[in-house]
Amino acid sequence: MNEETYVVKFLGIPFNITNVISGLAAFAIVFCLVYFLSRNLAMKPTGKQNVLEWIIDFTNGIVSSNIPGEQGKRFNLFAFVLFLFIFVSNQMGLAIQIIVGGTTYLKSPTSDPMVTMSLALMVLLLAHFFGVQRFGVKGYLVNSYLRPVSFMLPIELLEEFTNFLTLSFRLYGNIFAGEVLLTLVGSVAKSHGLITTVVALPLEMVWQGFSVFIGSIQAYVFVTLSMVYISQKVEKE
Amino acid sequence: MLSHFVVGAASGLYIGDLLFYLVSFILLLLLIKHFAWGPVTKMMENRATKISNDLDYAEDSRTKASSLQAQRQKELDNSQQEATGIVNDARQNGEKQRQTILSTAQDEAGTLKSNAQKDIAQEREDALKSAQNDVAALSIEIASKIIQKELKADDQKALIDSYIEGLGKQNGAR
Repeated sequence: MNEETYVVKFLGIPFNITNVISGLAAFAIVFCLVYFLSRNLAMKPTGKQNVLEWIIDFTNGIVSSNIPGEQGKRFNLFAFVLFLFIFVSNQMGLAIQIIVGGTTYLKSPTSDPMVTMSLALMVLLLAHFFGVQRFGVKGYLVNSYLRPVSFMLPIELLEEFTNFLTLSFRLYGNIFAGEVLLTLVGSVAKSHGLITTVVALPLEMVWQGFSVFIGSIQAYVFVTLSMVYISQKVEKE
Repeated sequence: MLSHFVVGAASGLYIGDLLFYLVSFILLLLLIKHFAWGPVTKMMENRATKISNDLDYAEDSRTKASSLQAQRQKELDNSQQEATGIVNDARQNGEKQRQTILSTAQDEAGTLKSNAQKDIAQEREDALKSAQNDVAALSIEIASKIIQKELKADDQKALIDSYIEGLGKQNGAR
């Protein structure tokens, strides 16, 4: 799990090498997957193109149900990439974890709070940016914090932080917990030889299946909430 | 393990990770946009417009076909009416012509008959007249022939003789 973290300082900035490697792997998998699916496009879609278009339709549906109209169209690509990245990251740790000498080199990137916080930060920055772009600084402030009633201002301000925290820690918590339990079941399997292995194997399988489900749901939830937060900033209240 | 619940407390906040993820996410966004998203969405839009065009076209041709169908039906009805009219006209014309031909024929036959009767009457009259003429001519000829015979000596002598004999007998017996 997180026995040791291998930190590299580059230009005085600390990098957690586990996250960097896992993230690179997730990005590479997403890109290769999409690149592979998008070859040989045709007017009449077949096979892999259908898969890709189904995913695109799915994420477009998430976007358009939260940000209706032309406004939402520019978030389609963002939602698509975000969804795929989180989905792949969630599943990655279930399939493979590389731990060498107590140091984890490859796991689910989303089981690290820094990663989910980065993603949440990115989403909320985008939300504020597009809010300002749409209404101007004054309009953005009024629309975000003083509408519909101005005495909610403290709660609105607090909400900005809770949004960020809940968005990032929901994802992190789910994936991290899944991996923790997987590791625990794994250590049970190794504890007393063959008997515990036989007992732990179906448990592990069941939990892995459940984690696949949770990973998918969490990817969907993260993207949906991202779009909700963005829509709160870019839609008139 | 607990250290992770206090975010970043264990070994510092890895700002580098944040930057790394931001940069690589943007990179991934651009790559996917260039290699997959652009072509796929373009294809999907093309398909959407093609489908809507096809639908419009189908709707168009459907209305066109139905209007053609209605027109055809109307024309069919018209032509049926026309055909009935033509047949009726032809029948009436035929009847009329028959009547005319019949009456003409009757007239002609009447004329012919009366002409023939007239001719016959004329001819009869002519024949009678010519017969009368012939009889008269014959009488005259006979008369002249008789007269010419008197003039001949023998005949005259015989006649006179007979006549004289007749006379003598008449006298002797008296």
